[in-house]
Amino acid sequence: MTGTATAPTEVDRPDLGEDVDSARLWITIVWNDPVNLMSYVTLVFQRLFGYSRDKATRLMLQVHHEGKAVVSSGTREQMERDVTRLHGAGLWATLQQD
Amino acid sequence: MSTVFRGTRRGPAIRFAAGEVVLLTQLFEQLLQLLEAESDDVAQDSDPLVELTGLSDSPAPAVKPTDPVLARLLPDAYADDERRSAEFRRFTESELRTGKQAAIRTVLASLPAASGRVVLTPEQSDAWLGALNDLRLAIGVRLEVTEDSYAELERIDPSTPRGRELTLYTWLGILQETLVETLL
Repeated sequence: MTGTATAPTEVDRPDLGEDVDSARLWITIVWNDPVNLMSYVTLVFQRLFGYSRDKATRLMLQVHHEGKAVVSSGTREQMERDVTRLHGAGLWATLQQD
Repeated sequence: MSTVFRGTRRGPAIRFAAGEVVLLTQLFEQLLQLLEAESDDVAQDSDPLVELTGLSDSPAPAVKPTDPVLARLLPDAYADDERRSAEFRRFTESELRTGKQAAIRTVLASLPAASGRVVLTPEQSDAWLGALNDLRLAIGVRLEVTEDSYAELERIDPSTPRGRELTLYTWLGILQETLVETLL
């Protein structure tokens, strides 16, 4: 059983001569971990992001089966805040450019 | 191992035996000490102004802790960018540590003096969730638990030291699982 991949939101990127951090989307990735309980990960996704039980469960299953999942996207600052909160909850998360 | 959380109208409730209280106290106090230990990877600067501002002429980048348990509890934020991870760690690790310490202290304060029943407030439930998870991560790292450990967990030999630790790890998992169930 696999979870449906949640594709990051497509954004029209301005045609600039160089990469500008603020113009590109950043994403937060949660990585699989053999210790964390599936029920706990689901609860964390619901609480931190306000996701429905359904969406939180799908993301958790994606982490579990595929090794990782994109759980949020936005500016770099927003993703750093998300990663901080996820680390506070004991999940292993990183951020990167989309 | 029948000690589990149950949902009640007033909140998640649990009844601990005296030995369980002693055990949990020891484990959480050890984890607290680990989180409080001065990081050996950050250069100590005796200039009080530097300590106040966190700024220095030659800032030492904060690196991931060498202790594998701490490294898991305080992980890098950028998977492939050491410089950005170090920068992020320098500004955020302290708060992450104190947050985890505070959760453990709340848990320790909520335990009965000997055996007894506890009903958790929402604040205490959050603290238990986080602290239990951190404790399980710590033990999981020490025991080198992997995805393939589940077979081992189903046939634990309690006469061996590792068997006893795996039994403990399993019990903590049941505690956390039953707590989560009362909150979902």
